[in-house]
Amino acid sequence: MNGLRETALRLSAVVDRDWKKFRRNPVVIAMSVLMPIIYLMILGNSFQGKLRGLPLAVVNQDSGPYSRSVLDNLRAIAAGPRTLVIRAATDEAAAVAGVRNGIYKAALVIPPDFSKKVVLKAGPEVGLFLDNTDGISAQALRGAVNGAVGAIASDYVPIRERAYEIHLRDNNLYRQVDYFQSLVPGVVIMSIFLGAMTTGVFNIVMDRFVGVEEAYLLTPLTKTDIVAGLIISGLSITTAVAVLVLAAGVAITGIPLPGSVEQYALMLLLIVLATLSLLSLMFAILGRARHPRIVGVMSGFLNVILFFPSGAMYPVASLPGWLRGLARINPEAYAVSALKAVLFKGAHLATVWGDIAFLAAFTAVMMTAAIVLFKRTL
Amino acid sequence: MTEGRKAVQVSGITKKYGEAAVVDNVAFEVCEGEIFGFLGPNGAGKTTLVRMLTTLIVPTRGSAKIAGFDVVREAGAVRRQIGVIPQAMTSDTDLTGYENIDIYARFYGIPARERKERIQYLLETVGLAARANDLVAAYSGGMRRRLEIARVLMHRPKILFLDEPTSGLDPQSRRAVWELLDKIRQEDTMTLFLTTHYMEEAEALCTRVAIIDAGKIVILGSPQELKQHLPGKDVISLTLEKLSDAIGDSVKNLPFAHQVFAEDNSIRVAVDMGARDLPAIMEVIRSAGGKVLSATVHEQSLEDVFIYFTGRSIRDEGPKKVSLLSAGMPRRTGG
Repeated sequence: MNGLRETALRLSAVVDRDWKKFRRNPVVIAMSVLMPIIYLMILGNSFQGKLRGLPLAVVNQDSGPYSRSVLDNLRAIAAGPRTLVIRAATDEAAAVAGVRNGIYKAALVIPPDFSKKVVLKAGPEVGLFLDNTDGISAQALRGAVNGAVGAIASDYVPIRERAYEIHLRDNNLYRQVDYFQSLVPGVVIMSIFLGAMTTGVFNIVMDRFVGVEEAYLLTPLTKTDIVAGLIISGLSITTAVAVLVLAAGVAITGIPLPGSVEQYALMLLLIVLATLSLLSLMFAILGRARHPRIVGVMSGFLNVILFFPSGAMYPVASLPGWLRGLARINPEAYAVSALKAVLFKGAHLATVWGDIAFLAAFTAVMMTAAIVLFKRTL
Repeated sequence: MTEGRKAVQVSGITKKYGEAAVVDNVAFEVCEGEIFGFLGPNGAGKTTLVRMLTTLIVPTRGSAKIAGFDVVREAGAVRRQIGVIPQAMTSDTDLTGYENIDIYARFYGIPARERKERIQYLLETVGLAARANDLVAAYSGGMRRRLEIARVLMHRPKILFLDEPTSGLDPQSRRAVWELLDKIRQEDTMTLFLTTHYMEEAEALCTRVAIIDAGKIVILGSPQELKQHLPGKDVISLTLEKLSDAIGDSVKNLPFAHQVFAEDNSIRVAVDMGARDLPAIMEVIRSAGGKVLSATVHEQSLEDVFIYFTGRSIRDEGPKKVSLLSAGMPRRTGG
């Protein structure tokens, strides 16, 4: 009986000690309440959402009535379920170039003889150029266009007379990218995130926690020395890891290697800039944290709000408006989209320079903030 | 006190946390080449003071100049002039001893060749040359402290701050640190500023001592000067089985007892000649019904100075006061 009471006492002491520590860490308490809600809102919206607002370029070369009804049907989809938005394009070449540059997700070309062929039942065709590197969006667009085109057949042709069918000619602009392959850029970004979380600011918080930081602050090291030094060391380690992960991902999923040096250089540049963006962001947020537990909790939070809505797993177009707004300032979203373009479409600098410029500017702003906010006194 | 150039000039420095002043309007000067000690119990404000002087904490009020540079406005220049050994161990445990010093020296821009030679020299000086390539995680507390002393000397600081350099060390390691500091002092002219709550340390090392209590300087002077404030020359310490008021009064009434302090069951009596006066005190206690368990006679030390000026012993961390049995102002009796 005595032994039991002692065990209970010992156990309750261990529990009590833990509770007390937990209670004195308000950031951790707030986060443990907020985290599940944030997970629900972000994860839920990242995968469940219906695709919306996929930009479809339409080149209508036919002046007949049937192309107009195809367009009417598409407009009905754009107005109803809003899967797509219609962008008029002048010619086929411009529309396809737009798909290649990521402006459109697909381009629909209605040839000049479309209406005539419908009337003559001469095997009418429309062409659909798809950015098939984003399989989920491509699927949704193909479905929508199929519906819009198929609808006129049932309207204008008696059902018994199934003498013809309008043909939707799929033009996959790129080699087919399967789902596993499409995850590789996301996996690279995830490895960059994990690297940035365990280097950089984490080291100074750890030094502070064990009391070693005092010795650094007593030396002539400036704020810039400390912040930039830790970010550079984190960059070297994280970049090496990310390159290895990319190589392994490419090898395992069998992505064909890009042809030119430019693509390799661009991928390295994107990895470096994504790493710098995340390291600087974390330094700006956590530069004054005193407990490594706060870094841990904050990392979990950042991972949820940055990774899942980044387009790495599911198209950004499926997100609700507020999450799409977040994606607009999310460095991971830019890095994922640029890496996908380079890896799957062989994109050149001209296509991804906007992403590169954003990441560079993001890094500059966050690193400045990190240096300004870093406290060089105890 | 010789009139030299000032290494440290402090005026009216104050640090408040909320309403409580941890360091309260402290002013003093330290000349170049001095070994200046801040002596006080834990919680007296010593570490806060050192941190303000070494640019780690911004003072609430007042100012301080180190080697002529202001600690707030010219913090960068101050950091180049000083070396600091904080109270906590600050060497990296996952680096070797050699790496710890080498990296630290690079913070000061010391070129490679000079680093190599000086690290070797300093590691030999502190007796760690043989362990230079071991991880600091494998060092004992005393070794780690010696490594930190070697590290802080790399850039030849003009003023060396040591915050409780021997706290937590065993007596043997403590003595080794003292000897080391003495040796360093003889080789380089450096100003040393140390805080301690060990009386022997302040007495053995310092040319001048400031006694600090509850954030204020109580008295400042050379150990000799401070002791001259005390009546008598020797102190007789007695531990009784039970100390009563009657016993205290009878000791107090002895003509040769300048000053009597009682704490728990111990009693300290300031006298002129301890060996001569001890038997008489024992006799008085016995006739008042007391039983003496132990008795020692020693020359007055800084500990007695501390008790004299603060009314409590330095070992106390709480507010407990020792009762001052001899009422009135302390008498100054010559001889």
